Amino acid sequence: MLAFIARRLAISCLVLLAATFIMFVLVALSGDPLADLREQSTPQAQAQMAARTAAMRLDVPVPVRYLGWLGDLLHGNLGVDKSGNPVSAQLAQATAATLQLVIVATLLGAFIGVTIGIISALRQYSSFDHGITFAAFVCFSLPVFWVATMLKQYVAIEFNDWLRDPVIPTWVILAAAVFAGLVWASIYNGGRRGKLIAFGIGLVVTAVILYALSASRWFADPGLGFPFVLVVSLAAAAGVAVLVSGWENLQPMYAALAAAGVGALLYYPLQQVLSDANMLSILGLGLLTIVVSWVLGHMLGGLLRRQAIPVAIFSGLLTGGLIFFDRLLQAWGGYVTSVRGRPVATIGSETPNYTGDFWNVSLDASMHLLLPTLALILIGLAGHSRYSRASMLEVMNHDYVRTARAKGLPERTVIIKHAFRNGMIPITTILALDFAGVFSGAVVTEHVFGWRGLGEMFNKALKAVDPMPIMGFFLVAGAAIVIWNMIADIAYAYLDPRIRLS
Amino acid sequence: MSYARRTGKFLAVATGAAILLTACGSGEKTPAAEGTAPASNAPAADTQTITHAHEQEIGSYNNNTSEEYSSKDAIVLNRVLPDVWYFGADGSVQRNTDMATYEKVSDSPLTVKYTFNPNASWSDGQPIGCADVLLTYATGSGKFPDFSFIDTEQWPRVEMPDCKVGDKEVTLKYKKSFVDWEAMTMVTQPAHIVAEQGGLTVEQLVDAIKSGDKAKLKKAAQFYNKGWLFNGKLPDKKLMPSSGQFLIDSYSPGQSITLARNENYWGEKAKAAKVVIRFIPQDEQVQALQNGETNIIEPQSNPDVLAQLNGLSGVTVKTGDQFLFDHLDFNFNKGPFKDDINLRKAFALCVPRQQIVDNLIKPQNPQAAPMDVRNIAPFQPGYAEAVSFSGGDKWNTVDIEGAKKLLGGKKVKVRIGYNQPNPRRTQVVELIKASCDQAGFDIEDTGSEKFFDESGDLATGNFDVALFGWSGSALNSGWTSTYSTVKKCTPEGKGNNKGCYSNKEVDKLTDEMLGETDPAKTQEIIKQIEKILWDDLATIPLYSQPALAAWSENLANVQPNPSQASITWNMHQWAMQ
Repeated sequence: MLAFIARRLAISCLVLLAATFIMFVLVALSGDPLADLREQSTPQAQAQMAARTAAMRLDVPVPVRYLGWLGDLLHGNLGVDKSGNPVSAQLAQATAATLQLVIVATLLGAFIGVTIGIISALRQYSSFDHGITFAAFVCFSLPVFWVATMLKQYVAIEFNDWLRDPVIPTWVILAAAVFAGLVWASIYNGGRRGKLIAFGIGLVVTAVILYALSASRWFADPGLGFPFVLVVSLAAAAGVAVLVSGWENLQPMYAALAAAGVGALLYYPLQQVLSDANMLSILGLGLLTIVVSWVLGHMLGGLLRRQAIPVAIFSGLLTGGLIFFDRLLQAWGGYVTSVRGRPVATIGSETPNYTGDFWNVSLDASMHLLLPTLALILIGLAGHSRYSRASMLEVMNHDYVRTARAKGLPERTVIIKHAFRNGMIPITTILALDFAGVFSGAVVTEHVFGWRGLGEMFNKALKAVDPMPIMGFFLVAGAAIVIWNMIADIAYAYLDPRIRLS
Repeated sequence: MSYARRTGKFLAVATGAAILLTACGSGEKTPAAEGTAPASNAPAADTQTITHAHEQEIGSYNNNTSEEYSSKDAIVLNRVLPDVWYFGADGSVQRNTDMATYEKVSDSPLTVKYTFNPNASWSDGQPIGCADVLLTYATGSGKFPDFSFIDTEQWPRVEMPDCKVGDKEVTLKYKKSFVDWEAMTMVTQPAHIVAEQGGLTVEQLVDAIKSGDKAKLKKAAQFYNKGWLFNGKLPDKKLMPSSGQFLIDSYSPGQSITLARNENYWGEKAKAAKVVIRFIPQDEQVQALQNGETNIIEPQSNPDVLAQLNGLSGVTVKTGDQFLFDHLDFNFNKGPFKDDINLRKAFALCVPRQQIVDNLIKPQNPQAAPMDVRNIAPFQPGYAEAVSFSGGDKWNTVDIEGAKKLLGGKKVKVRIGYNQPNPRRTQVVELIKASCDQAGFDIEDTGSEKFFDESGDLATGNFDVALFGWSGSALNSGWTSTYSTVKKCTPEGKGNNKGCYSNKEVDKLTDEMLGETDPAKTQEIIKQIEKILWDDLATIPLYSQPALAAWSENLANVQPNPSQASITWNMHQWAMQ
């Protein structure tokens, strides 16, 4: 295995080296780096051209420039851009911005996409499946810049306008309720009567929720509150426990309920701690939650400890997350005031010079991440859901799944234990490539939302015919692809014993 | 275990949760009324923050080096490091009397006396005066090549000023008379900071400059060139004292830079407490303005952006001209137009200048008209006079018959070169083709992506007519070389005179103008030059490129500027109402 990895690494490095040369030459020949100065009749133009020629070494042939870059690289120097500023500083800044922007979107997008894909595989050819397929292809075919502009118009500008008087118009409530009803009915797997009931319940529930939110002007000052946190966290804990170990084995459920219950009951005592929280104390609380949940899982799990512990930890963290979210919402009113009534941002990664406590600053960051994350998820959803659906369907048709059913195993066990794990194997590759793609930035999304990430750096440098920043970008992106590919190979071997043993 | 049961339970739980959610949200607090206050309530002057959007990110606190010189720095530093003059609202040279007054005390040799305001000082308390001027002399005179300086044309014309540290009076003696003496760069960067970072006292710095001691200034020059670069973080604020109404407050890489009011400013202080310049791509600025994330934008003009802006409420939109015009240059070195004034006339008669403006420029600037002279912009004083004197306006109407007569039935092939992709210029060539082909020309569009390249069509003279733009300013020394006889018509030798036009009379007049210190007489000479350029049909000016700016209605004193100073030229006067 080690020899295999070493060989792969060596080959990848050679490929990367060759690619840098091609890239460098292509960029250097892609245009005239002095174009913007050629129409200036100001006395400064000549000096500017001379300075740029010196910084970019335009006086020597392209291959020599490449060798110069390579030599600098061996000394750990990434060179200078066209105005003579070091690329390394820009690269560090751009990488930080990109990671901040893309990681959340990639994780969320992968999670939601895979979940949807699996559900639609389990409900193959149902109206839900058709609906998801249709929606996935619509999203897939939308251009990012268009989605981004629409999001800015409706989710930011119009939503902010609406927040001044947050009353949901009746027709919107009705339309949303009908839509929700249709979704419920399509997920429901049963006869026509059952579907009708599901439709009715979905419609009524949604209508009631939206009406109540509107009438209580919830959006002007949102919050969850203790009862909501308690009920939802207990319900979620029970749900997860059932999904993982079924109704037959109740120890994991006790552990999960205990973890959620303890968490929720700490709602009021925690408010004091949370009011002057910072990143460190939040992480500490998260860690504490994991430890307590682990102990609960260990104590209450009985023979099913190995299932109970993760379920308890998940429930504990979920409860903690709800309390965190609730506290975040409590800061909403103040935040909205401080940004003059327009919380959802269309551009940038922060409100300039924004100061406030941990919650306000977190809200500020979230509100700036909201639209780009939505855009990235919408666009990425299609791929993930389609791949995981296909992979899941294929596994479900395998003999061993039929055998498992024939043995009389409950459907839950068949899906979670037998089908799901094997269905995930091909998706690993896609996820690994996705994470490698994180380091290439998101060219259009970054540009549209004003994030100076790797994609924007690449784009700007390409427009300016400036090879050095592009080479810096290329090194990061190329190295990421090589490394993540390797991780995918290793993960593959881990997940699929057939590969390990052959 | 059936799905029906599970779904039913889940729905029941969800219903309960929904009811809880709404009950809790509304029960605990009353809605925050202040959160919904309309955005137009202006905060008190002391706390006002005004935000401007610019595409490019500032790179340095020193915009005078040839590496850094660009609008991305100038836009921020306009009122942080002002000089003794600035480009005013109409783009003309205005004196900054807060800092210094100056007057011409003698015409031969041209001598100008500068008197700095006794209160004028850097925001760290050091007085502004002789030492700062000497630093500018050192960087700009070319005598200390270690310093990188963008404009090495101005200071070599002047003798070294003879003043002492602490002097508030500085006299400049010119070696040769100079037309743009009023726009002499005097105060650029703080000399005391350069001295300190160069390991010198201010006295030592001044002595080294006076004695021409390059070695002693090496370290200072290094700091001057590189010490103020941002490279992702703000340099030490102690290194960045301000000489204007604002000083640098904070910087967030990739996002914004914030200027705060300079409380130590001796003149009238800035109205807004803070000005933030956010780095926002051009095409995203309109929505940012709409969402209140920026208050002022100055995007590149195009009909779509203008329509979008006009559709917004609460926003003031302003269109206008700028110091940037497109023109047609004949090739005087080779091709059909060389030595054939009648052919040039015939071409000028069929170029539909009015139609080009009507179709391509008016949608973005309703007041636009064809530009009738080259070296005075339509918004500058004296434009109308120069037009009527030079007779430029008589080429406004298309006269196909007249052109046919001049051509005498010949069929002449004309290649028009320009840079691609540039949709507007492509359309200009299409309009010219539609009109001139009727007169007997055979117009060929030879636009190319490599038009401006070192070995491209413009440099090698591979065109009959070249279509491109010149960006200018109110200064007159910038454009003279464009119309002066070149030593050699080669890519390196011809400089800005791309068509290698030559006329002894023009050479004499431009020389004369460069030495003319009286603005009225300068104007007179420009008029004569324009007349000859029209008579010779050296070039055909087409239109001034449209400018566009927009800002929130609740702002006062926002005024676009046609020069490179940009809309931030008077940011100290911006205020919210």
